[in-house]
Amino acid sequence: MKAPRPDVIACGDDALRILCGEGDIRHSLAQHLKHMQGWTEIVPGKLDLTVSFDPHAERMTGAQARLSAALGNVSTLQPRAARTHILEAGFGGEAGPDLAALAARLGQTEEQVIFTLGQQTLHVDMLGFTPGFAYLSGLDPEIVSERLANPRSRVAAGSIGLITGQVGLYALVGPGGWPILGRIRARLFDRARTDPFLMAPGDSVVLRRIPAA
Amino acid sequence: MTIEVIYPGVQCTVQAGPRGGWRHAGVPAAGPADPVSMALANRLLGKPAGAACLEISLGPASFRFLEGMQVAVTGAAADLEAGQQDMPMHETLTIARGQTLAIGPAHTGARLYLSVSGTLQAEEFLGSASTYMPARFGGHEGRALRKGDVLSAEAAGVIPALKTPGPLRLAPMPSYALRVVPGPDLPAGEEDFNAIAYRVTTRLSRMGLEIEGPFPNLGGAGSRSSSAVFPGAVQVTPQGRGFLLLPDGQTTGGYPHLLQVIRADRHLLGQVRPGDSLRFLLRTQLQAEEALRAKQALLQSWMPDFRL
Repeated sequence: MKAPRPDVIACGDDALRILCGEGDIRHSLAQHLKHMQGWTEIVPGKLDLTVSFDPHAERMTGAQARLSAALGNVSTLQPRAARTHILEAGFGGEAGPDLAALAARLGQTEEQVIFTLGQQTLHVDMLGFTPGFAYLSGLDPEIVSERLANPRSRVAAGSIGLITGQVGLYALVGPGGWPILGRIRARLFDRARTDPFLMAPGDSVVLRRIPAA
Repeated sequence: MTIEVIYPGVQCTVQAGPRGGWRHAGVPAAGPADPVSMALANRLLGKPAGAACLEISLGPASFRFLEGMQVAVTGAAADLEAGQQDMPMHETLTIARGQTLAIGPAHTGARLYLSVSGTLQAEEFLGSASTYMPARFGGHEGRALRKGDVLSAEAAGVIPALKTPGPLRLAPMPSYALRVVPGPDLPAGEEDFNAIAYRVTTRLSRMGLEIEGPFPNLGGAGSRSSSAVFPGAVQVTPQGRGFLLLPDGQTTGGYPHLLQVIRADRHLLGQVRPGDSLRFLLRTQLQAEEALRAKQALLQSWMPDFRL
């Protein structure tokens, strides 16, 4: 299938942004550009991919030409070899202090909300905010949830946050503004691993419930 | 060689070169907020531009040297004293065994850099020894230094004393004119920023700084889907406040990205302090490239390994 060539815009004087829209093309492109080398950072956003270059090594026009040439091959990109992470999680209680309130607001039981969450395959759109924080899409938009009016100063590592349409996984302990429904067991960030980050943009995630400890 | 932190001041961290290639995982560059001043401090001790240094915010701060050492201090303008003697900034200094180097409060500018002879011990993580406090890695236990912390440096031979050449001593000022190029979200027809003076508020950290002043009306474009952001980005919140990102700033953001401070001028952001005044001078890509080449040539004449 031949995809149209996406638009490219400048993002400052040492970065370029590819407006590629939702979907896997961002992740395939990111992989392609990584192999190509010469890009100092390759950062997926929700609807785009931004790359930075070394302005001491090439000019903006040169980087644009190099990127255009790479995008000429978009139709032949290999899909990224994405991984699926099945993450065991506990919901509600101390690990998920906002589950009860969310269920009540939706007119559902906690069990129903947990069931819906577990039914869906979620996609890692991007990592950001803090190291390893994963933004997951693919959530049933009927689970309507707003950011907390008063962000918490401390959210545990592994916490599962939810705002409408998105799940956020907190890799590190720290402040957080998303309602927290549960906590995964796996460590999203482990400094002892060669790649300290469990997930990469483009991966898939399934949340599997385990009984509360 | 051992250095004891007597008083770390507002915030003192170990910083080295930036941490590159991990923004897709949410890891910012960290590193010095003012990399030019850090490189100048290292140069006075014959060290590489990105060698680990202490970054001191605002001052005052003081350190005791348990053995005699050569040191150098650059960056924000402050008074230095050791052994009851005034010491100059921008020179290789010799601190005698047991002496304390006292750095006064910064008169202008925000960050001082203290380089010491030998290699300062620091935790390297993801390719850099720079401290990134939010995730607690790099530097000294991933955190700001505290009173009583003890740092060690490998012993090094004595080098001839040096002084930073006059033209490279960038005096920090209470107002800055920063050259910018349009950000991806700057509305067409809203390019007239040059006359506006923005005031820096007290919300300032290694992650970024807040500025007050008039910004273009963004209408419904007040919030957008998250995209990559880099140090030097000028973003505007729905409340109409401006945020300028520094080396520890988050890697993605959903606020409109109006302007981008050009690469050549980003180092100046490390010296901006609350109450300072900022203006933005809109430039073309070609002008930004020319500015980078010119400043790079000047800095490289004294620091061959330094890159803006």
